[in-house]
Amino acid sequence: MKKTYIAMSSITFAMRAKDVLSRSGIRCEIIRTPKNLGTGCGYSIAVTGDVSRALRLLDNNSIPHKMTYES
Amino acid sequence: MPLETASGGMDIIMINFDNSATTFPKPQSVRRAVAAAVEKYGGNPGRSGHELSMLAASKVYEVRSLAAEMFGALPENTAFTVNCTFALNMAIKGLMQYGGHIIISNMEHNAVARPVYELSRSRGTEYSIAEVTDSDEETVKNFEKLIRKDTRCICCCIASNVTGRVLPFRKLAALCREHSIPFIADCAQAAGLIDLSLDDGIDFICTSGHKSLYGPTGTGLLITSGKYPLSTIIEGGTGTSSARLEQPSEMPERLESGTLNTVGIIGLGEGIRFVRNLGTDKIRKHEDQLCRRLIERLSRRKDIQIYRDNALYMPIVSFNVGNESSHVIASALNDAGFAVRGGLQCAALAHNALGTIEQGTVRFSPSAFNTMKQVDLLADVLMSI
Repeated sequence: MKKTYIAMSSITFAMRAKDVLSRSGIRCEIIRTPKNLGTGCGYSIAVTGDVSRALRLLDNNSIPHKMTYES
Repeated sequence: MPLETASGGMDIIMINFDNSATTFPKPQSVRRAVAAAVEKYGGNPGRSGHELSMLAASKVYEVRSLAAEMFGALPENTAFTVNCTFALNMAIKGLMQYGGHIIISNMEHNAVARPVYELSRSRGTEYSIAEVTDSDEETVKNFEKLIRKDTRCICCCIASNVTGRVLPFRKLAALCREHSIPFIADCAQAAGLIDLSLDDGIDFICTSGHKSLYGPTGTGLLITSGKYPLSTIIEGGTGTSSARLEQPSEMPERLESGTLNTVGIIGLGEGIRFVRNLGTDKIRKHEDQLCRRLIERLSRRKDIQIYRDNALYMPIVSFNVGNESSHVIASALNDAGFAVRGGLQCAALAHNALGTIEQGTVRFSPSAFNTMKQVDLLADVLMSI
C-alpha cells in the first residue's frame, strides 16, 4: 500500500503525531527524514492510507508539520 | 505501617527522614525500571533512525506524556532537566536575561535566590523580596505592593524547603494574571504531595524528579504553559535542524540540548506512576500524620522549638533543641541511625526570616516509606539528647 511521508519538526512532535494518528486508527511509523528534504536531523511520519485525514488530525491537535512527500 | 514497603531485597542501613533532599528508598518499580533501562534502552533518543534510538525515544516520550498529564500540560511543553535548580535557572534567566524587575519571596531556596542575585549583579536585573507571613491575604498583599511597571515575573516556591510553609500560590498566580506577567513556581517540595497543574495559573512549573515524584537523582522537569517563550541558557545538539547554527524554537528540544538522561527519565516515569497509583492526598496525609506525631512528641520538651504557626504546611518539620547547633543535633541523630538535615538547607533567605541564620534548623521530612514506629524511635532519641 502507498505510503505518504509527513515531515515533522522534532522527534517529540513525531511521537505525539504517531500517538494521535494511531488512536484514530491510522497506521503509521516514524522514520528519519531523508537529508535532501530538510535541514538535517529530522523525523517524518510514514502514513499508510488517507493522508489528508491524517493531516487534518494533526492540525486539529495543534501538531505542527512540514512538507509531505512520497519516497 | 508504611504507606508502601520498599522490599525487593533492600538493606536499609539507616532510617531516612531527609526525604526533602531526595526520597530514599525509591519504590521497587523505580529500581527495576532503572535496571531495565540500563540493560535495554541504550540508544540515544532523538538522535538516529535506528531501532535502538527509536526505542529509547519512545520510552522518553511515554514518560514525557505521563508528566504532562500529571501537571495539565502538553507533552511538547514538558522538558526534562537534570534537577529543579536547572529548571528554575532556565525559567528565570530565560525570562529575565534582558533586565527588568522580578519579585521573589523571603522563603526562597538558593535555587531561586542565587540566579536572581546573579542576574542583578551581571545584567542589571532588579529584584524585590516579599515577606511571607502567617496570613495568606497579607502575603499576597506583600507581593502586590512590590509590583512595578517593569516587573516581568513573580517567582516563588509553592512550599518552603525549610519549614514546609505553603505559599498562597493560586492567589499569587491570579495576581500575575491580573498584571499580565508570568508566574514561575518552584514546586520541589510540593510536586507529588499536592495536585499541581498549569490550570492553577502557573506558567512555569519547575520541579525535581527525585524528591516526592520518587524518580532517581539527576531528574527534573520544566513545564511551561507555552504563553511565554524562553531565551535559552544552554544551546547545543537537539537532533533537529542540525544544519542550522540557530537553536531550534520547537519545544521541548529547545530546552533539551545534549543527550538526555534516558535511564533517569525511565525511572522517573515509574516514580510518577507510583505517586499516581497511591494518590497525592494519600501520600501527604500519611506524611502529615508522621509530622503530627513528631510535633506531639517534641512538644513535651520545653526547650525544643518547632518552626510552625497556624498556616498550611507540607510534611516537613523544622526544629531546634535549645541553643544547640542544628548540625550537632543532626550529627547525634546520624550516630543513632537517623538521617535528618541540619544547617541552612540552602535557604539563607528563609533562615534570615526565621531568625535561625546562625543556628540553622534540624529538618525532618518523611516519605511514603516511613512508619509511625520510626518516628517514635526518632522522638525517643531526641528526648534523651
